[in-house]
Amino acid sequence: MNRWSLLSLAVCGVVALPTLGVLGSVFMPGGEEWRHLVETRLGTYTRNSLWLVLIVCTAAAVIGTAAAWVVTAFDFPGRRLLYWALLLPLAVPAYLSAYALTDLFQFSGPVQTALRETFGWSRRDYWFPEVRSLGGAAAILTFSLYPYVYLAARTAFVEQSSGALEVARTLGRGPWRGFFTLALPLARPSIAAGTLLVAMETLADFGAVDYCAVDTFALGVYRTWRSLESPVTAAQLSAVLLSVVALLVFAELLARRRARFFQLTTRRQPVRRQRLGAWGSVAALLVCGLPVALGFGLPAGVFVHMAWTTGDARAWEVVRDFTGNSVGLAAAASALAATLALVVVYGRRLGGGVVNAVAGRVAGLGYALPGTVIAIGLLIPLTWVDHRLNAAADAAFGWRPGLILTGGVAAVVLGYQCRFLGVALAMLDASLGRVRPTLDDAARTLGATRLRMVLRVHLPLLRSSVAAAVLLVFVDVVKELPVTLMLRPFNFETLAVRVYQLASDERLEESAFGALVIIGVGLLPVVILSRLIDRHGRGRTS
Amino acid sequence: MTPGTDSNSPLLELEGVTFAYGRGPRVVGDVDLTLRPAEVHALLGDSGSGKSTLLRLIAGLERPDAGRIVLGDDVLDDGPRRNVPPERRPVGMVFQDFALFPHLTVRRNVAFGMGRRPDARAEADRLLGRVGMTGFGDAMPHTLSGGQQQRVAVARAMGQEPRVMLLDEPFSGLDATLRDRVRAETLAVLRDAGVAVLMVTHDPREAVQSADTMSIMRGGRITRRGTPGELCRKRRVETAGPNGEVGFDCIELIDG
Repeated sequence: MNRWSLLSLAVCGVVALPTLGVLGSVFMPGGEEWRHLVETRLGTYTRNSLWLVLIVCTAAAVIGTAAAWVVTAFDFPGRRLLYWALLLPLAVPAYLSAYALTDLFQFSGPVQTALRETFGWSRRDYWFPEVRSLGGAAAILTFSLYPYVYLAARTAFVEQSSGALEVARTLGRGPWRGFFTLALPLARPSIAAGTLLVAMETLADFGAVDYCAVDTFALGVYRTWRSLESPVTAAQLSAVLLSVVALLVFAELLARRRARFFQLTTRRQPVRRQRLGAWGSVAALLVCGLPVALGFGLPAGVFVHMAWTTGDARAWEVVRDFTGNSVGLAAAASALAATLALVVVYGRRLGGGVVNAVAGRVAGLGYALPGTVIAIGLLIPLTWVDHRLNAAADAAFGWRPGLILTGGVAAVVLGYQCRFLGVALAMLDASLGRVRPTLDDAARTLGATRLRMVLRVHLPLLRSSVAAAVLLVFVDVVKELPVTLMLRPFNFETLAVRVYQLASDERLEESAFGALVIIGVGLLPVVILSRLIDRHGRGRTS
Repeated sequence: MTPGTDSNSPLLELEGVTFAYGRGPRVVGDVDLTLRPAEVHALLGDSGSGKSTLLRLIAGLERPDAGRIVLGDDVLDDGPRRNVPPERRPVGMVFQDFALFPHLTVRRNVAFGMGRRPDARAEADRLLGRVGMTGFGDAMPHTLSGGQQQRVAVARAMGQEPRVMLLDEPFSGLDATLRDRVRAETLAVLRDAGVAVLMVTHDPREAVQSADTMSIMRGGRITRRGTPGELCRKRRVETAGPNGEVGFDCIELIDG
């Protein structure tokens, strides 16, 4: 075992800590609370989580795939804009969508009020869907998560494109039959992988289901911790959720493997898109435009309108007082994540061996863990360590240092590593993979030590990817809600936490500027992501 | 060392060099090889015969499981007991994909191996001149053609004044019409500098045309060695080679 393996294992251990904490809780006495939970809430959690995952995955798969097919196979006015605009909902965290859409569509909201005024209706004269319900939460999550499917499906369609589809055309299959007999089956593994990501995010969601009062497992973990004040019971609940997530991760892995296998050629020609007529264009604009409008346009618009009409000094205070905390936390967490990710990818590159490979895999799996599970899984072992430290210090020096890990920001930053290290890893892994191994060999035979090789050859080549990794984690941290909410030090609030509290207190107007800052920050990776994909695509085809 | 002097005493000696990747099968088995100063030796074999791995062992990029590699008076490898890291070996290598650093100019690529020499810039320009690339110092690698990149790669490998140059099929990426000329020029430059050359190839014609001595590798072992004249049955004209060239000197090797 070399130095790299030890370092990789250490990083891997950090990410695995919450899982171990949760699994450890299974062997702790659950007692009265667990029995109570099983009798009263477990059925609801299971039912809600299942329905939510089922509806959101189905809807997101259909919407994402349809939009991806339309923008790759057809030409219509606005196609180029929608091609990347369909990714915009990624900038709006689901909880912000929930706040905005509820505000817009609730009984006292502008839409229903306008309907009543226009038609002279009163409360009993009409039916209107309730946003704060299972269906509402499902719709909100669908329109905020479909981009995962869209991106996966679009990549698959672009990759298979010309070759197979043109063969199909020459064999007498029109674009529609070509889609169902060829394009869709070939893209299925990619779509499945994207849909499984949607399933994980749905199970992990905290803010939207909390606001819509749909008790899912992830929310149940938080409720159990808050109201029952029983971390062990919350962790046991997490263990149930964790086993479902593990299945999803495994399924996603299989889907990805099949997706690679289904990739037909490495040589690609740009697709020849079919030009649509007037009605076709309208249909295409609806299929691609509605998801963007509901997932990005409406929520962002509501906050802009709110900031414009009711924005006052108090709304600015939110931004002034809490942006610093958010930025500080995000900067620390993203710098750490990039460093840890570098350790892991270099372990695999330079150290080699099974240990480094497995450690890298495990370190990347945290993205699948719901934030509430990570928080609970960390709280138990960290609290234990804190108490031990205090007891030891007390015994040795008669002095108690206080809660070093759980009392400060250390626990939150650690929680972010568990959740977001995978993001940094994926970024660096891909770009280090593009640095040909012969460059390493050339540097070594030219007299460079490993250190000099890393400094003079790798880092200059990786610079932009390291920056991208830092940025992606930074943005994710700014948007993050449950980990921050549960692991933050007492009286320490970030922008996201403040917005959450204001929304819970029905003081949404005050949060408008804060929400807009979060959405604005969230736009950065969307822009970068689409530029990266474009560059990558061009590089492959040229 | 200048060409001609002491040319009978071996420069590079391999004795019983054996290697496997991890616990996999043997890739190089019990190879003996001798290279004299300024000699051009071709290692001929199909892909997977272990010839590229043998070069990596000599460069120090892999560690032999057994056997000795000696360069002049220095023992570079002695089984697992002694292993000089690649950066401390006076061995240059030119790779099949040239492996130019994409973020450095041509001049800085060539100067990469010169360390902190104060005259690195002038020396890099001098080497570029010798490979016929004067004036390309400020160009970026991706703007060069394949043949130009190959010359830069040779100049770069010469920058650290190696005593042995390892060429890992460095001409196979080039256009067929260009290949013969670039190869002749490259080997001339290396011969002038008195550097011994170990060249890996899967093309019998290339080996016969340019090497002083050659060995044939098969399944990780050297199965036959000698001069091109000894290893080649001439007179028959056939089509061979990846591009279907017709009519070379050596059509059939004396080897089972």
